[in-house]
Amino acid sequence: MIPLIIVLPLLFAFCGFVVSAFESHENHIKSIFLMGIFSPWPIFILNMNDYPVETVLGGWSRIAGIELGLGMLNHYFILGSLIVFSLVGVYSLSYFEDDGQKDGPIPGKRMFPLILLLYSGILGSFLTRDLFNFYIYMEIASISSIILVACSNAEGAKRASYRYLMLFFLSSFLFIFSIGIIYVKMGTLNFELIEQNLVMSREIKAAIVIAFVAFITKAGVFPLYFWLPSAHSKADTPVSALLSGVTVKVPIFGMLLFLEYTSIEFLTVPLMIVAFSSILFGIGMALLQSNVKKLLAYHTVSQMGYVLLGVATLNVFAAAHYAFAHTLFKAGLFLAVGVLISKQGTKDLDDLTSGNNTVLMFSLIVLTLAIGGVSPLIGAFGKHEILLGLSGMSFYLFYMGSIGTLVSFIKLDYKLFDLSVKHLGKFIPSVQEITAFIMALLTVLFGIYHYPKFNLLDLALMGIAVALFLLFKHIDLFEKNMPHYFSRDVKGLGSEINLYTSIFVLVNLTVLIYVLY
Amino acid sequence: MRMSSIVRNSSRLVSPFLVAYGAYLIIHGHISPGGGFQGGVILSVSVILLITSHGYKAVRKAFSVRLVKIVESMSALLIIMISLIGLIFGTYFFNFLRGGEPGTLFSGGTVVLLNILIGLEIGAAFTLLFYVLLRWTESD
Repeated sequence: MIPLIIVLPLLFAFCGFVVSAFESHENHIKSIFLMGIFSPWPIFILNMNDYPVETVLGGWSRIAGIELGLGMLNHYFILGSLIVFSLVGVYSLSYFEDDGQKDGPIPGKRMFPLILLLYSGILGSFLTRDLFNFYIYMEIASISSIILVACSNAEGAKRASYRYLMLFFLSSFLFIFSIGIIYVKMGTLNFELIEQNLVMSREIKAAIVIAFVAFITKAGVFPLYFWLPSAHSKADTPVSALLSGVTVKVPIFGMLLFLEYTSIEFLTVPLMIVAFSSILFGIGMALLQSNVKKLLAYHTVSQMGYVLLGVATLNVFAAAHYAFAHTLFKAGLFLAVGVLISKQGTKDLDDLTSGNNTVLMFSLIVLTLAIGGVSPLIGAFGKHEILLGLSGMSFYLFYMGSIGTLVSFIKLDYKLFDLSVKHLGKFIPSVQEITAFIMALLTVLFGIYHYPKFNLLDLALMGIAVALFLLFKHIDLFEKNMPHYFSRDVKGLGSEINLYTSIFVLVNLTVLIYVLY
Repeated sequence: MRMSSIVRNSSRLVSPFLVAYGAYLIIHGHISPGGGFQGGVILSVSVILLITSHGYKAVRKAFSVRLVKIVESMSALLIIMISLIGLIFGTYFFNFLRGGEPGTLFSGGTVVLLNILIGLEIGAAFTLLFYVLLRWTESD
């Protein structure tokens, strides 16, 4: 039955494409969209009690067919994407309302089938146990998300989408090259069979390195993060929530598949360096941003570093749990901030204000505490598990990251909460605010369910963070602006992509030389 | 630019043969080189040949953008439907029309049906891509 988790959204996506080809009423597409979004839930819940569930498509043997599996490895990934897509789906119904304005958002008629396509691509890549099939689903997910970014009307969205496209294809080509190496050496692409016949030769090591560099690019981790901040901040709010919440987890799941079924011990040191540099770099850049969506996007760079840290310490469940936590709170933050952005028509932190919107204020505080890893919210559990694998120097670096995240989000809350504003009148929460609120509530509930402790150290970290925030505010660090290095025309874009490509090649070569010699 | 009558007449003559060749590749896809994708590309080439000789506007009257869109998404939908029928017989993508002597035309089961649908899908998708790209250079 588990193929239906992928197929039903795909079915409704193509239904949506057929219906939108006829001049149909928008409500028809909306109902198809909602059916597609909620259709995988019953199958997921029905299979939840008899893990692991495995099936090979077409009734073939494992050698010939494509295997799908549902187990503890991908449980949290699928649960997270189901939750986020369901809430974002409800949110986007009112966001993509066709209001007849020319510069308003693109009507949902064109967006909804694409979102369903993204949905099935993501669920497919989380379910599959076959390397090539994983590649195909990742491509479906990334191509539909590239188109979704390009559909945004924000200034620079097309440019961001182009950058995204180039870096995605660059890494995809090298990833499929590494799949080729693995196929030549192993004769199979099924992960169970790879695990049974694994002999770690130099070629397999090289293939795994190339695959990991491609994954790092697709996950937007530090040395290869270039496409992420612009793509996530220029997209429409629901799309940003999906990209930042779910799409970047697909390459992480690929890493976990390699970690689970092959051996990646030789990669721990490079992964550790990349993870810590990503954590600290993301926070440093986020502190300097005044565009609220860009701030959240740079935090994705830093949070993906934490998830990568779970991979680097060879702890599958730490990575999976932290990825799940990040899915919930980052999507929630984008939704909460998006409500303010669409109401006030600006993304600038200095102009945005939450006014007397108490529901949103509450959700923002909960979500910012969750991303800071304060117990008993959901971030604490993943961080606790990652910490188990760390020692010495990395321990302190990890706490530095936690403090930095808190400082950056104290800044966000400080700028958004303007308690003096009273003129907004009586406040009635809309569907959009309620979805953000539910997201905040879920971070609390899952946090208490997984890790029902209160850590006093968190209070100390909060204290240090507040002190640092006041210090940074005193020296006007937050008012600094980032310079632009590239001109805004096509030529600038070209040289930008040339630079990114050379950095990509350089990272690839460095890690390859480190591992092989 | 208006092509000469030699070009237009010869492309009009060649196009149906291309369609026949594409259909042959699609239907024999499971027993000979070729298949849905290759045949589909040739199907779309027959339309693209007409666009280059007769111009976008004339071809668009016969194959409207909407028709191409519907064929494209309908065939994708039918592919999923056929694979879903397999679920009734046991597993997803199950070949429920198995049988026939291997190596003959009637031995593929659902593979033939899937090949035909993939051919239509690819043909329509490539034509649609060409239409979309031509939108920016509306002149003939």
